Amino acid sequence: MSAPSARTGYVTILRRDLLLAWRRRGEAAFPVLYALIVATLFPFALGPEGALLARIAAGVVLVTVLLAMLLALDGLFRPDVEDGSLEQLLLAPQPLGLLLAAKILAHWLTTALPLLLASPLLAAMLHLPVAVLPVLLVALALATPLMSLLGALVVALTVGTRRSGMLLALMLLPLMVPVVIFAAGAVSAAQQGLPFIAPLAWLGAALVLALVLAPAACAAALRIALDA
Amino acid sequence: MNVHSSPTLWNRLVLWYHQMGSPPYFYAFAGRWRPWFIAATLITAAIGLYGGLLLAPPDYQQGDAYRIIFIHVPCAWMSLFTYAFMAGCGLVGLVWRVKLAEILAMEAAPIGAAFTFVTLVTGSLWGKPMWGAWWTWDARLTSELVLLFLYLGVIGLYHAFEDTRQGARAAAFLALIGVVNLPIVHYSVVWWNTLHQGTTVQLFGPSRITWSMLWPLLTMALSTHLYLGWSLLGRARVALLELEGGKDWARAIALKEASRG
Amino acid sequence: MNPRPPPAVATLLEVRELAFARRDEPVFGPLDFDLESGEIGLVEGDNGSGKTTLLRILAGLLHASSGTVRVDGLAAGDPAAAGTALLLGHQLGLKADLSVRENLATAAGLYGRRERCGLDDTLVEVGLEGYADVPVRQLSAGQKKRAALARLRLLPARLWLLDEPFANLDRAGIALVNRLLDVQVASGGAALVTTHGAVSFRDQATRRIALS
Repeated sequence: MSAPSARTGYVTILRRDLLLAWRRRGEAAFPVLYALIVATLFPFALGPEGALLARIAAGVVLVTVLLAMLLALDGLFRPDVEDGSLEQLLLAPQPLGLLLAAKILAHWLTTALPLLLASPLLAAMLHLPVAVLPVLLVALALATPLMSLLGALVVALTVGTRRSGMLLALMLLPLMVPVVIFAAGAVSAAQQGLPFIAPLAWLGAALVLALVLAPAACAAALRIALDA
Repeated sequence: MNVHSSPTLWNRLVLWYHQMGSPPYFYAFAGRWRPWFIAATLITAAIGLYGGLLLAPPDYQQGDAYRIIFIHVPCAWMSLFTYAFMAGCGLVGLVWRVKLAEILAMEAAPIGAAFTFVTLVTGSLWGKPMWGAWWTWDARLTSELVLLFLYLGVIGLYHAFEDTRQGARAAAFLALIGVVNLPIVHYSVVWWNTLHQGTTVQLFGPSRITWSMLWPLLTMALSTHLYLGWSLLGRARVALLELEGGKDWARAIALKEASRG
Repeated sequence: MNPRPPPAVATLLEVRELAFARRDEPVFGPLDFDLESGEIGLVEGDNGSGKTTLLRILAGLLHASSGTVRVDGLAAGDPAAAGTALLLGHQLGLKADLSVRENLATAAGLYGRRERCGLDDTLVEVGLEGYADVPVRQLSAGQKKRAALARLRLLPARLWLLDEPFANLDRAGIALVNRLLDVQVASGGAALVTTHGAVSFRDQATRRIALS
């Protein structure tokens, strides 16, 4: 048997998951819609005063985007567990971590990227100063893949359970605290005219670390959670 | 390695480790030691509280309000110690698939969560006279809150599985992730705090403590450790009986208890 | 191009004192058996006797309570052994939203195979001619099973672990499974097949493993 190249497996899974998402492309709009609704509710709760909204805008956009991603996270492995295709991944002669990395990338492209594209709209609704918008986008571009990677790790642990919903949020919160702090910290520093590179650099370093470690940890978690 | 310089001690430790892995042995061991643990807990708690609440002088700044540290600080230490214990047992359970380690890890989680909860409540009680508010986003308190969520996540994941052992392994894995995550959370919260509000009132400065305050504190810390031992042994005994309910030794114990009661 | 390794007698599966207990209730075991290349093993047992569990352990998805499993000389679950065994379970591992062709291309890609090689011939062989571009959700249960069986034909696995391969199949489908097994055996592979005994299995089995 010729040794199958790892790249083939990665590309295969990436293509399959993107194709699946394309077949159900209507569902990609749900997280964006959710974020839009939440962002709309804030001015109603706090009043339409521009200065106040501008002060909290970055934090609200960030938290809204992460919560919208949380909603979509359960769909990362559950369909694959239910139809047995996850077993096929586990048995394939490919490094499982790499296959999972492809799944996570596909998930990020189909859930986080639309949110990222919608975030300028959310920011504008909340009067975020236009000058700060690039910082927010960079922060989101670093925070959302982190959310996908850490979320995949946590959701992998719950695949053996019947439902995860609230549990997922509870498990993910401690992991997301540093991400939220640094991402929001960068934007608020930029808003106050302070240097904002350091928190972004920390986020970037965390992302690199997560890119290396999370897929392998995710593979270990899946093997534990399916061992029944 | 240090281990090889004293082979007899090492051999005895290995033997003890293997004996402890046997459920009936552990069950009997835990039953024998529990009374001693609770007795020692109560005695040290009485001494510590007497020393802390009556003998120690009032603080020149905070008056008597500071005395809550004799509960708050040992509980805060224990919240971290129990977490480390849980993660350590979880690691042993995951790597060597030792049933008892899984049980100890999972039974430690609610105790650790309780210590964390007490830390948060006493911290907020203390915060009211100190800061004039029930809750302050102080770095330590915030980290404790995140720790509580970590504990609840571990407990929740454990109970979400139908198969207890599978749940224990998944939750142990989550606990290990938390070990990596907790220092990151702590330092990011400290950074966040300096970014937003400058220095807050320090809950507990090491420089200001005198011996008359320190010894009751350490006695209380010892007492909470002993309490953990007592509580853990009891919980593990029950969990072990539940898990091994179908085995002969568990049946024999059930029959003995039934004939006695 | 020969898609299969040349026949050579080798012990593909070596099971020693394998036992499994769920929540400390023994499910089966201890089991001892070998499966050599060119052999078909039949796992017989009633519902709940642990047939599926046994196959999952042999595939390396599940840890046994005790005992050892060696697949082609390597421990089950060893990354180096990945791809030696192919599992066909109750859940067929097909994506309902994808066509038969897309599903099989995914399976082939996971094993590093060129997707086009032999796909149409295989579909003819399993009786799904003309269904290549139909989404799997529109197929009948038996046709889904045939699509999953096509995977056996396309992927280069020496050991097949088939969980109730005859379920949902008509007479022609049963003949198809038997034919696939013949080819597998002839090319030096081996297969372990579970059945609860309802289907009369042609007398191919060279080894019987009974789970009580």
